[in-house]
Amino acid sequence: MKSKFLFPYWCRFLGWALFLVHVPVVLLKKDLGFDVPGDLSDQGLFNSHHLFFMCTSLLMVSGLFLVAFAKEKIEDEQIWQVRLDSLRWAIYVNYLILIISLVFIEDTGHILHLNLWVPLLFFIVRFRWVIFRLNRSLSREG
Amino acid sequence: MKNNIRVERAIKNITQAELADQVNVSRQTINTIESNKYVPSTVLALKIARVFGKPLEEIFMLEEGD
Repeated sequence: MKSKFLFPYWCRFLGWALFLVHVPVVLLKKDLGFDVPGDLSDQGLFNSHHLFFMCTSLLMVSGLFLVAFAKEKIEDEQIWQVRLDSLRWAIYVNYLILIISLVFIEDTGHILHLNLWVPLLFFIVRFRWVIFRLNRSLSREG
Repeated sequence: MKNNIRVERAIKNITQAELADQVNVSRQTINTIESNKYVPSTVLALKIARVFGKPLEEIFMLEEGD
């Protein structure tokens, strides 16, 4: 099976590293001195708030993207099928959440936030869960 | 669709892992095919039949309702 358009296996670890780096940066943004609100000298397109949001979002999204689309150790047609199936579910869930939040949430900025990571994260969780179940049934049979 | 890969493996005396190796898939895939949870592509089915040296219909057969 030719696996086109997938990153090499090691990109999975790089992806997790990027994602894990982004978490403390976002949590500690005030303590680290980024993104101080209310500074009037700090206006324009590339103000510190926008820059901070852009950099952390890029870290998170590129991390999740690398994890989601890295090759498995052994790529075969069943993995492809699981991958496609998980993608389908991720799109379903994403649009379900999107539609619900369009109806019930007025703040459209948060919808973009959700849209950034929900499909990727749901895809990763679902894909890994199915592979975990396949491995478990394998070890049960011996 | 059902198959008798398990029987053919026993006759040829090879493990799931060895068969998986010969047709370039993971052991999980062979395992799920044997337990009828996954229907292989035509290419993979032909490769498996080639390993056992038998025609496809002797290894994979349609069930009622297929």
